[in-house]
Amino acid sequence: MTRMTRRQFLRASGTGVGVLTVAGLEGCATSTGEINPKAGRRVVVVGGGWGGATAARYVRAADPSIEVVMLEPNKTFVSCPFSNLVLSGVRGLGSLTFGYGGLRDSGVKVRHAAATAIEPDTRRVRIGDGYLVYDRVIVAPGVDFLVEQVEGLAAAQDTVLHAWKAGPQTAELAKQLSAMPDGGAFVLTVPPIAYRCPPGPYERICQVAWYLKTNKPKSKLIVLDANQNIVSKAALFRAAWQAYPNIDYRASNKVVRVDPGAREVTTDFGDKVKYDVINLIPPQRAGAIAVQADLVGADKRWCEVDHVTYESAKHRNAHVIGDSTIGLPVPKSGTMANAMGKICANAVVNLLNGREATPVPPVNTCYSWVSDREVIAVVNAYKIENGKVVQVEQKLTPGQSTVYAQHAEGWAKSIWADVLGNGGVA
Amino acid sequence: MSRARLGLLLVLLVLLGAPAVSRAAGPLDQPGYAKAVTCAACHGASGNSRSEAVPILAGLPPAYFKKAIEDYASGKRLSAEMEPFAKQVKLLGVDEVAAFFAAQRREPTPVRPERAAVERGRAAAAQCASCHGPEGQGDAAKMVPALAGQPAAYIRNQLLLFKADKRSPGDEPLTKMKAILKPIPDATLADVAAYYSSLR
Repeated sequence: MTRMTRRQFLRASGTGVGVLTVAGLEGCATSTGEINPKAGRRVVVVGGGWGGATAARYVRAADPSIEVVMLEPNKTFVSCPFSNLVLSGVRGLGSLTFGYGGLRDSGVKVRHAAATAIEPDTRRVRIGDGYLVYDRVIVAPGVDFLVEQVEGLAAAQDTVLHAWKAGPQTAELAKQLSAMPDGGAFVLTVPPIAYRCPPGPYERICQVAWYLKTNKPKSKLIVLDANQNIVSKAALFRAAWQAYPNIDYRASNKVVRVDPGAREVTTDFGDKVKYDVINLIPPQRAGAIAVQADLVGADKRWCEVDHVTYESAKHRNAHVIGDSTIGLPVPKSGTMANAMGKICANAVVNLLNGREATPVPPVNTCYSWVSDREVIAVVNAYKIENGKVVQVEQKLTPGQSTVYAQHAEGWAKSIWADVLGNGGVA
Repeated sequence: MSRARLGLLLVLLVLLGAPAVSRAAGPLDQPGYAKAVTCAACHGASGNSRSEAVPILAGLPPAYFKKAIEDYASGKRLSAEMEPFAKQVKLLGVDEVAAFFAAQRREPTPVRPERAAVERGRAAAAQCASCHGPEGQGDAAKMVPALAGQPAAYIRNQLLLFKADKRSPGDEPLTKMKAILKPIPDATLADVAAYYSSLR
């Protein structure tokens, strides 16, 4: 007798899909056909970052009769905010790493698997050979990198690091920085907007410059910024950089090529810049699943959404939150993703209960560490006007201060707990 | 039960369940829940801040909450972070947001102040009790806030602002307190803050 695959067996036995499921949702085993046929209403959340984890928790908080399945391949959550402090050695990556236990305690079914496709027409999320059926899906895939826009990068991704998703690359870049000989050149490239965390590269510049000033005083930091000027908190960063004469900031210098053999990058003007350590932050777009699911717009990069419900402009019953969205006058920040996660969760619960969503604008707070102890911040307030998010006001801190550092630490504690639930916080 | 009556009962049950989606009351039935939800990023779930320097909003009397929002929005209370959000809350509906936080159960700060500071603060706080109460429970009717269990760094920062007349300058009811605070050294104010923060 010839051996049969599970799929062949299902087909031959005529039972079709929906019969074979594997040992519950919590496991990582692969399944064929429909995974855990849904009994009641189900929301599937794709991605367990700042937006997705928040949304998953808040759907359960607003209506525990709704089943919530969250798909996230990573077993732990590593905070991007504060991860620039790992490069300077001010913080360890462990202090930014949390479990998903708090979500499980909230009744979220966390499945450590990647969604491989979303099929809005049949309301299915595919996981390998199997699929989950949803009433509504919340897609929070974060960003992916347009690696092909930098020649030579695709083949060099093991050594040319972005460290723009906190995790192993963050630790590795910190190691490269610490191993760099004094007198070396650290080259940091800033991608053109839009990208995740507008002030992030400039905070990183502060942290690397502080580290070099403190530990390798003969070294320099060359910044190649694709943008015409500092994208966020420009005056505050300029003021902070007064303390770091080791920064060589070059605006309108877009990196188009990297040659790891020659340890050299090339800008769009043809200028070649040598490096000892490179931190190349590539141009970005919405996470791959959003592209696959046809949730991105004509630019093939970002997802347009309704400003009240975060439902996709392209597909019904699919909502998109966080960094992968476009069209709202908001930054791609952790606070923003968290706010969108909550507002979207409440909208989804209202819609699933046959009610209208309450129009609630998001909020933004971005703290940036400009040294080992001082912080600056930008705050954005919004309103909803004619169904669209409109900025009411943007305000910056008057300067850098340890008081704002205290606020930043407090913000982190509160928001990590808000994203992950109490049990998630170590 | 006869067949006919059973049939009628079934019809009734189906009719009662007619809206395909119905559910028991949930948090979204409170008007302020959806509007206050974004505040949790800094002020914690249900307004129970975990931070050393960000105040707990759970259980604040609505009148006190509304005055704080007014003062932040107008700049009488200076805060780069709160000024824009105060304006946002006013546009969103401050009454609903105030009512939401007032209805939340207050959990004292998880940040424990230093024991020695608490002991020093206990003695220094004697003169505060006439308004803030022997247990730091405040007096909502007189707009005197409860201090018990608020984060120490938040209380200390506010005391320093009052002392320098930088918080709500010109507010008549605060004149007496500001006069009392003036001669007290900053370090003692930090101890008083630690003491009130430690109260449960």
